[in-house]
Amino acid sequence: MRRFLDRLYDAGLWLSAITFGLIAVLVALQIAGRLLDRAARALSLSPPGLTIPSLAEFGAFFFAAAVFLGLAGTLQAGGHVRVKLVTQALPERVARWLGVLVALAAAALAVFATWSSALQALDSYQFDSVSYGVIPIPLAIPQGVMTLGLALFAVALVDAAVTLARGGTPGHLAAEAATEEGN
Amino acid sequence: AEWDMPTPYGDSVFHTQNIMQFAEDVSSATDGGVEITVHSAGSLFAHPEIKDSVRRGLAPIGEVLMSRLANEDPVFGVDSIPFLASSYDEGRALWEASRSAVEEKLAEQGLTLLFAVPWPGQSLYTQEPVESAADLEGASFRAYNAATERLAQLMGAVPTQIETGDIPTAFATGRVDAMITSPSTGVSSQAWDFTSHYTDTQAWLPKNMVMVNTEAFEGLPEEQQTAIMEAAEAAKTRGWEMSEAETESGIATLEENGMTISQPSETLSNEMSEIGETMTQEWLEEAGDAGQAVIDAYRNSGS
Amino acid sequence: MEIATLAPLLVVVLFGALALGLWVGFALIAVGMVAMYAAAPAPPELVFATKVWGGMSVWDLTALPMFIWMGEVLVRSRLSSDMFSGLAPFTARLPGRLLHVNVLGCALFAAVSGSSAATTATIGRMSLPELKSRGYDDRMAIGTLAGSGTFGFLIPPSIILIVYGAATEQSIARLFLAGVIPGLMLAMLFGGYIMLWSLMHRDRMPEAEPRVSRGEAMSAAARLLPVVGLIVTVIGSIYLGIASPTEAAVIGVIGALVLAQMTGALGLAGLFDSLRAATVTTCMIAFILAGASFLTVAMGYTGIPRDLARLIGEMGLSPYALLAMLTVFFIIMGMFLDGISIVVLTVSIILPMVTAAGIDPIWFGIFLVLVVEMSQITPPVGFNLFVIQTITGRDMFTVARYAAPFFGLLVLAVAILSVFPELALWLPGTMLSR
Ligand code: NA
Ligand code: NA
Repeated sequence: MRRFLDRLYDAGLWLSAITFGLIAVLVALQIAGRLLDRAARALSLSPPGLTIPSLAEFGAFFFAAAVFLGLAGTLQAGGHVRVKLVTQALPERVARWLGVLVALAAAALAVFATWSSALQALDSYQFDSVSYGVIPIPLAIPQGVMTLGLALFAVALVDAAVTLARGGTPGHLAAEAATEEGN
Repeated sequence: AEWDMPTPYGDSVFHTQNIMQFAEDVSSATDGGVEITVHSAGSLFAHPEIKDSVRRGLAPIGEVLMSRLANEDPVFGVDSIPFLASSYDEGRALWEASRSAVEEKLAEQGLTLLFAVPWPGQSLYTQEPVESAADLEGASFRAYNAATERLAQLMGAVPTQIETGDIPTAFATGRVDAMITSPSTGVSSQAWDFTSHYTDTQAWLPKNMVMVNTEAFEGLPEEQQTAIMEAAEAAKTRGWEMSEAETESGIATLEENGMTISQPSETLSNEMSEIGETMTQEWLEEAGDAGQAVIDAYRNSGS
Repeated sequence: MEIATLAPLLVVVLFGALALGLWVGFALIAVGMVAMYAAAPAPPELVFATKVWGGMSVWDLTALPMFIWMGEVLVRSRLSSDMFSGLAPFTARLPGRLLHVNVLGCALFAAVSGSSAATTATIGRMSLPELKSRGYDDRMAIGTLAGSGTFGFLIPPSIILIVYGAATEQSIARLFLAGVIPGLMLAMLFGGYIMLWSLMHRDRMPEAEPRVSRGEAMSAAARLLPVVGLIVTVIGSIYLGIASPTEAAVIGVIGALVLAQMTGALGLAGLFDSLRAATVTTCMIAFILAGASFLTVAMGYTGIPRDLARLIGEMGLSPYALLAMLTVFFIIMGMFLDGISIVVLTVSIILPMVTAAGIDPIWFGIFLVLVVEMSQITPPVGFNLFVIQTITGRDMFTVARYAAPFFGLLVLAVAILSVFPELALWLPGTMLSR
């Protein structure tokens, strides 16, 4: 179970990273197409006009999808910031149980976010909502990915609370400790 | 009732000013029974979010550009077919012919149309004078949806995607050579800072629609509903007048700031009506019988 | 609920949630929920996804991961350490020496990036470890970065000026030009402060680097060339019309990858490692942005920012008093909301009173950028603080303390700009008058 969950978070983070990489590739192709047009004009040929249709919309949707897919992995990597001045001063036992409560509160908010996002994706699906640009993209697809990412985030937070309550060290605490040592 | 009203454009745009007046009218006609707070410039919900927010009841009333919904149903794009209706009279006739079809589509989503007001006609902004489509051959032409992309192609230009905030930079650095937009937007974005020629094509008059969530509307007492409808009727009349006045003053401002204003040459006019014919046919293929009925009604109205 | 009770309640919830150690993004969502339940007519579960989706599916945001990725590649390829050893001989006689790198680096980087968070993350990732290993004072290294990172908004291109220009119908071209001189002025103020500080705190400066011969200085300079070439390419791609400011970030990534490949120090593992690190930082920033967009709409429903702004309008102040009052207002709001949200929420109330007081709207855009820059480094909600906490592991309140002198300099810059409005208005007036 432990290994499965860790792999799941990591897979989300990698999917996120690959999606960001994909944005880079698409933008690079768009720039290449523009350079080609310029070259053609310089040679008095008619520009081929190669562009990636709706790039701004695709890019925006890829960005949103990538962000949500990466939330759980970012938590595991200690990436999400929080204030530790107060909790650091507490005795170990108290800090642990406060940590459990805070992780559960975050999990509750993440469940709310997941539910809200699911309602939206479902609504977009029922109304066939599409994007505005040259290519009508069904909004339910990227919004569905957003819902999945948020659900994974909620799982990771419950996981963190349970691990803490059992006396273990959740991924985000281990990673945060590592960052502090490095500096 | 206290209503939050998201609108997409800034306070100095005549559409927003018209809506502010509308909100005041509603308040006084209902003796403060319906108070509308206008959240302009996308400050509550941004333009892409407004329609669905009203439909889902997050805001009872809101404003959107009609053609933004063209991907949902072709009928919302009827006012953005270039050179189909390119004057206020024609625009009015087209709106009369298409209004009930638009209302029907909105009703399917639980939305009630209150009023629609056009932007001034869409005209060409370029660095060089445009005598015919040949002058745009191979030029980068700003396209922001399927209709403007097709228009650019038919004019022999290369459709280019440029985000609104990026327009001045794009012109200054040569990523784009031409755009088509209203004199109002030309003035508000101070187009003279980055273009020099305005060709008054008035190719189409896109409209903004103000719509309410039907459930919220019908939840009001009868007399308040009537008061809102009357205020909407007044806002429509006032809005069309403001738009027409804005066309002239806008072009005058462009000229004062050093832009060369010209009417389309005969060649360009002919080329444009041909493009208009092509794009109307293409729109009809998409819009089917419902679309045909709109175009027939428009053509029979004598415009 | 009355604003007089709701506003303090929200502040208590925010500080409470943060103090207990709740992640910043969740703390913002929690405050937004309280505000929605207290004052909004709409159901939070429908509003949340709408706003968060709308706030995240934004094309301009795609530049963020790209610039951060570029920084991660440069760090791994040792190009950034080359850059520091290349610069060292040239700054040897300048009081403050390499501490100026943050100011210079951020000013240069700001010319390609419209966002402060990206500027801070990219430059900080490269400069902080280098400065630390060379024995520079931590507080000063972090403070200069936090302060200079805010240049991203002032030096064009600038997201905040685009938002302001679009909301108020001001020419974005003019706003961009108006930001140039104040941006340089701010860089000089920061540089001047570093010099003063280093003269007054010689004990906290590292040993001087060994003197080098002219030949060694020349070969050091040669090591600067790749990174200088990269910066020139990215800026050039915008001004030659090859790429939009958003797209230019990708040119930065490609350039960095090519350079790293040429020096043979990156490899496939480094490529993936850098992308993964950039992903983590991006997701961190974006999650807080998502929380902020929900809080923003909740605040829009409550009407708190509008009412406070209206209150200022009703005071009937003279222009200078009005600006002083607005500065205080923005500083307080800027502690709790992100800067762009404040501009969006209040501009339609504030602009009319500002123009009625005879203040030029272009000038006011630059004023707004400066106060928004302050909000980036004031706790508890300040994006530069979050980014630096991620890089260094130092708590955001500690980082804010280090950044305090630069906050003071931003206030000073507002004062100077108010007395000499021409600093902002001269350039657009000269270049674009017809
Ligand atoms: Na910038
Ligand atoms: Na702040």
